[in-house]
Amino acid sequence: MLKSAIAFFPVIALISLASIDAKAESIAERIELSGKFESQLAFGTTTHIAQKKAFVLTPEIGIDLTPALHLTVIARLRSDIADELEPGKPEQRNRSHYSTRHFTGTHADTELREAYIDAEIDNTFLRIGKQQVVWGQADGLKVLDILNPQTFREFILNDFEDSRIPLWTVNAEIAIGDAFMQVVWIADQTYDDIPKPGATFAFTSPQIIPSLAPGIPTTISTPTRPSKFLADSDIAAQFSLFINGWDLSLNYAYHYSDQPVIRRNHSQTGITVRQNYERTHLLGGSFSNVFGDFTFRGEIGYSSHRFFLTNNIADRDGVIESGELAYVVGTDYQGLRDWLVSAQFFQSIITNPDTNVVRDEVNTTTTFLVRRDLMNETLEAEVLLIHTLNQSDGVVQASLKYEWITNIHLSVGADIFYGVSKGLFGQFNDKDRVTVGVEVGF
Amino acid sequence: MNKSANNAEKYFEFVTSWPKTYFIVSILTILWIATFVPQIHKDTSSDAFIAKDNPIVLYRDQVRDVFGLEDPIVVAVINDGPRGIFNPDSLALVDQLTQTIGKLSNVDPDRITSLATESNIVGTIDGMEVTDFFEPYPSTQARADEIKAAIADFPLYQGTLVARDSNATLIVVELLDQDAAQITYDEILAIVAATPVTAGTEIHVAGEGAISGYRSTYIDRDATRLNPLAAVVITIVLFMAFRTLTGAVLPNIVVLGTLAAAFGAMAAFGVSFYVITNGLATILIGIAVADSIHIMSQVYEEIARAPELATSRIGRREIVIRAMSKMWKPITFTTITTIAGFAGIWLGAAMPPMKFFGMFAAVGVAGAWVYSMFLLPAALTLFPLKPSKLFKAEHNSRTSIDRCGAALKNLGAAALNRPRLAAAVAVLIVAFGIVGTNRVIVQEVQIDNFQPDEPIHIADNEINRRMDGTYFLDIVVETNEPEGLFRPDHLRRIEALQAHIEQIPAVGGSTSVVDYIKQMHKAVNENRHEFYSIPDDEFLIAQLFLLYSASGDPDDFEAEIDTDYAQANVRFNFPAADYQLLTEVVPAIQNYVKHEFNSDEIQAHLSGRVMVNYTWLKTIGDNHLRSLMLSLLFVWLAAALAFRSILAGALSLIPVGMSLLLVYAVMGFGNIWLGVGTSMFAAIAIGLGIDFAIHTLDRMKELLSNRSGSYDQRLADLFPSTGRALFFNFAALTFGFLVLVTSEVPALIKFGLLVAVAVSTSFISSITILPVLGKLLKPTFLFRQGEISPQDRKLSALASAGSTMALVALVSVLVVNFAEAGDASKLPSGDSLIAQVNARDDGQQVTRSLKMELVDRRGKSRVRETLGYRRYYGEEKRTVIFYRSPTNVKGTGFLTYDYSQAETDDDQWLYLPALRKVRRISAADRGDYFLGTDFSYEDIKKETRIATEDYIFTTLSSEEIESQFTYLVEGIPVDSATAEELGYGRVRWHIDPQIWMSRKTEMWDVNGNRLKTVRNENIEQIQGIWTALKLTALNHKTGHSTTFTFSDVDYQSPVEDSIFEQRTLRRGR
Repeated sequence: MLKSAIAFFPVIALISLASIDAKAESIAERIELSGKFESQLAFGTTTHIAQKKAFVLTPEIGIDLTPALHLTVIARLRSDIADELEPGKPEQRNRSHYSTRHFTGTHADTELREAYIDAEIDNTFLRIGKQQVVWGQADGLKVLDILNPQTFREFILNDFEDSRIPLWTVNAEIAIGDAFMQVVWIADQTYDDIPKPGATFAFTSPQIIPSLAPGIPTTISTPTRPSKFLADSDIAAQFSLFINGWDLSLNYAYHYSDQPVIRRNHSQTGITVRQNYERTHLLGGSFSNVFGDFTFRGEIGYSSHRFFLTNNIADRDGVIESGELAYVVGTDYQGLRDWLVSAQFFQSIITNPDTNVVRDEVNTTTTFLVRRDLMNETLEAEVLLIHTLNQSDGVVQASLKYEWITNIHLSVGADIFYGVSKGLFGQFNDKDRVTVGVEVGF
Repeated sequence: MNKSANNAEKYFEFVTSWPKTYFIVSILTILWIATFVPQIHKDTSSDAFIAKDNPIVLYRDQVRDVFGLEDPIVVAVINDGPRGIFNPDSLALVDQLTQTIGKLSNVDPDRITSLATESNIVGTIDGMEVTDFFEPYPSTQARADEIKAAIADFPLYQGTLVARDSNATLIVVELLDQDAAQITYDEILAIVAATPVTAGTEIHVAGEGAISGYRSTYIDRDATRLNPLAAVVITIVLFMAFRTLTGAVLPNIVVLGTLAAAFGAMAAFGVSFYVITNGLATILIGIAVADSIHIMSQVYEEIARAPELATSRIGRREIVIRAMSKMWKPITFTTITTIAGFAGIWLGAAMPPMKFFGMFAAVGVAGAWVYSMFLLPAALTLFPLKPSKLFKAEHNSRTSIDRCGAALKNLGAAALNRPRLAAAVAVLIVAFGIVGTNRVIVQEVQIDNFQPDEPIHIADNEINRRMDGTYFLDIVVETNEPEGLFRPDHLRRIEALQAHIEQIPAVGGSTSVVDYIKQMHKAVNENRHEFYSIPDDEFLIAQLFLLYSASGDPDDFEAEIDTDYAQANVRFNFPAADYQLLTEVVPAIQNYVKHEFNSDEIQAHLSGRVMVNYTWLKTIGDNHLRSLMLSLLFVWLAAALAFRSILAGALSLIPVGMSLLLVYAVMGFGNIWLGVGTSMFAAIAIGLGIDFAIHTLDRMKELLSNRSGSYDQRLADLFPSTGRALFFNFAALTFGFLVLVTSEVPALIKFGLLVAVAVSTSFISSITILPVLGKLLKPTFLFRQGEISPQDRKLSALASAGSTMALVALVSVLVVNFAEAGDASKLPSGDSLIAQVNARDDGQQVTRSLKMELVDRRGKSRVRETLGYRRYYGEEKRTVIFYRSPTNVKGTGFLTYDYSQAETDDDQWLYLPALRKVRRISAADRGDYFLGTDFSYEDIKKETRIATEDYIFTTLSSEEIESQFTYLVEGIPVDSATAEELGYGRVRWHIDPQIWMSRKTEMWDVNGNRLKTVRNENIEQIQGIWTALKLTALNHKTGHSTTFTFSDVDYQSPVEDSIFEQRTLRRGR
């Protein structure tokens, strides 16, 4: 955090000084300060311990440098007294130099969430700096939304906004007639935050963590992260178009998958587990359109180089390489006043399967969402079900959000996992929780 | 003596200087104007009550042109024998009458319909054959039975041509010239009278054509007979008042002059004499007599004081000048106030006859004044004046009194001795009047204009009892293509229309081309009943018409379908068509036609006599009150000006108000409807009543200013002198018009009775209540300056303030009434108003900040701030809103592409910063609430515009909103699906025509419950564009409200295309 600030701010300062027009309105008028303060409590109903007792301050500053240049900086200061989600001080080896969080003690961290400059030059919009770039039409299920890594600190239970890790990125959007070409260059080798063993949501599912034979000495080495600024950067492009009511996009990315590939090496001394990141091409597209009360949307992506754990003892490194085709189709129904009913169907297919692959060749997940707004959208009630067809496991998330007065929101919720422990969701079967939150905006 | 009195004296010296010359000049003038009177055109038709350019009339005329439909005279042959009319004699009678009537000059022989002219459609081996029912001629019972069977097999004719019980049949006679209906009716009556009938057979003549022709003549004839009789009675009363020939004759000359002025002017200006113009004669006689009586009384009083002067012309001149100097003022005052009253009627009325009534009554009143001020003094100087025995001088220069004067003196004294009791009685009478007024209903039953034993009344009852009805509502169906009516779907729609409307109990039956098609379809299918239906095949339908023309006359369908087969007339029969019934039935039918029948390909419009009558009768109720209020206001202002006191204006209205209330009470309790005839009573009550009040007040003022003593003492002379004159004024009118009670015409009986009530009330209340109120209130205008004690002055000021408030209230009521009950036919159409609203310039683009404040029932408020842009791309409109605060929604963006084609759904995107995704959202639910506000997505999208494709608009009235004139337009969603979609079952906009924006909009939900009120406030012109800077929406069901406050509105700064792109939405700014 500190390092990134040191690296970035001289640039910002220079641009700012160069661009501030003395004749224009006072600086105070061009600066907009806002933010929110959240108090979050999550209580494990099975474990009977608090998973989270957090206070989060998210200040945001926006500065109009010139009419065409705008700077946005968002930081996050978090103190989680429970310290169960990331016990101790995480090593952050998955994070690049410029995207690390700064820890104060074991339960407080500060992170520069976003810091970017927006500029508009003719028909090109540029956003340079630390940011999130989101692709795709699906909610929660990721096929194309792969540009930013994710934190699994709370598995998938926290907000998308918070779960994405913003990256230092150059993002250019160029209008070409009625269409848009977006070119993204990410020179930030930061990948998913995976909770370490001992954390509340540490992974145990054999689909993710290789099962190791008991009694054999095992050495787990630290993940190897790509580190070459230019050579290891990600590049991506999206061509999007609105035509005859259809929102269409064509996407391509040449990027590192954000999940580490966990390889095991048998040696005389035992087993060495190594983790590294692998590059892949992603080619895909998305669509959405509305028919009456129904919105139909979907996305599809083919990743050329994916790695899957295998049970084959004879396998040299315990993973096989294959292409992966994934897609989501979804529909939202808004035919009933104040109701939203949404369903999604997701499949991931290993295109070059091996009989020993741990996960199924085809993974199928469905989601079902019902949301109801009440009292002029003062109160929002929502139930979300995510269910995998392979393991018949899943999670039910129910929540109530209430806007007490302008800028103060209260919320209560429950997250209930079910299914077998080897399942992606079932692994957290004992991590059911209820949550209470207060959010104060300013 | 003041200056005006001097001037008046000089004037009367001049008038009396050459009495002979002036008298002759006056008489010649009267005669000259009277020469115009014979030219007056009588228009006693029903159509006279509706403006000739009224859309309903124009459409009806157009329909007449296409289908040749007129209001027919209907001749019924009735036979209650066992075989009904199906016997050789009755059928021969039908044939004979058809032949004879067909020869009348005003009858179109091709447009006479009876069993003798109509054709039967029967199936043959080749298809179908069209043969006349009377071919071969029904000379035998067997043949008559065959015809009976044929009719039984032809549903179309049942109830319309032949009674369903076979006991009656009609000969429907359409006229070439509707204006000559009266003559034709008389001719037909003569034919009927001359036609021998067998025992048990009856012939009746009725029908709308007969009624409208005869009714007017009927009233007119009686009125013409009775008005002169009234004049005789009035003359007798005058004689009793003065017991001199001059006293009886001279007022009659003034009356003649007045009538000549009014009717001569009408003739000269080409204004027709309508049925209600008979009432004009009444009122003018009354006013002319009143003016004369007051002048003559004064003259006789002067003679009584100085009898020696009456013997010479110079002496008479002196007397006349003295009398006229005293009387010119009250006469002028009454003239001004009466003219003001009639001006109110003239301006307030919508029906042409009523308008002209007001206008020419004012002309006549002015004429009466001219003759009273010119002819009368000249004549009184010219002719010998015998002293009236009834006027004798007393010692103290006051006149002595006769028995009549004494009685009035006692009445006055009684009232003045117990002023509070008198006032209380007046209040009670007013209360009674108010109760009665509330019972008055607007109703018109045309046939009730005839006595129940009149042949036409009997005929109407008989025919409408036996048949489907002789009152016609025509529904004209128009398709947008030639031969469109060959299409089975269109025909089924017409069939459904007939079936639906026939379910209404008031509807007797109906006829349309569909009935013929079904009959023909049956005929070509061996007369099998299951084929009495609309064929599914368009070509077969065309074929049927072709087959028909092979043996029948193609003109047979002239009244049902046009030659292009694109328009059809569906005629509905009503056995009764009174206004109260029509107010229930016609809107229901209109509603069905609008919402269930009309489509892009086929439309229906209501027409026919029933529709025309309904349209103009509708204006009676609304208009009556309006012209009444206006009239009262004008009278008040005129009286206030005359006495230079608002309180005087108010006081002079009291007798008028009381007489009006009593007239209404008599109507309410006596079941006398407010109809065509009775709608002018108010005018008469005001016109005649105000004179009593003005004369009384003027004399009171004179006595109180010039005499000495107590209030009662000073007023003592009021009763025997002015009171006496007023009494004879009252007596002349009351007895004169009570003569009308002997009339045969129900309308005239009511007329006579109500005029008597109005005049009596005005007289008694003027002579009692006004002196009492003068005593109680001590109004300063009646007294000498400085005479009123400060305490009384306060009371008077209070009364003055009260009457000012009442005046303001009257004006307000009038304004509201103008707005609410305003004549709908004069309001611009809903469609045109909405088109103007939608055409309002709201800028090619706009940038603006918007603060939304959402407040719940308990007052808890939530605030959002946004920045919005809007721009038109031709007909397409793009809008985007970015949320700036509060933090939790900051960055939320809402983008809409609103396409010009109504059927194309909008494209909408919502950017939620929490998801960092632009979400496509469905736009189908226009009625959903926009982001938690009380505005629906549709409200937001349309801004101040209104989707014309969603509603059927009607202009209801005009109203004031925030002191601004607005039109109230109601929109009913075109169908229930649209209503569901919008969430509104009904919307009312208050459209300000200055800015073409709705200032207030009310919405009802689909169940008819009040849902929302939206107000556009703080409307300013920004860069030349009217802009509502504040919008509030209150949800009446939830108590939740939303206020939108716009600021930094800028219509000129360019709004880039890129603002309306999804990528901009993602940037949140």
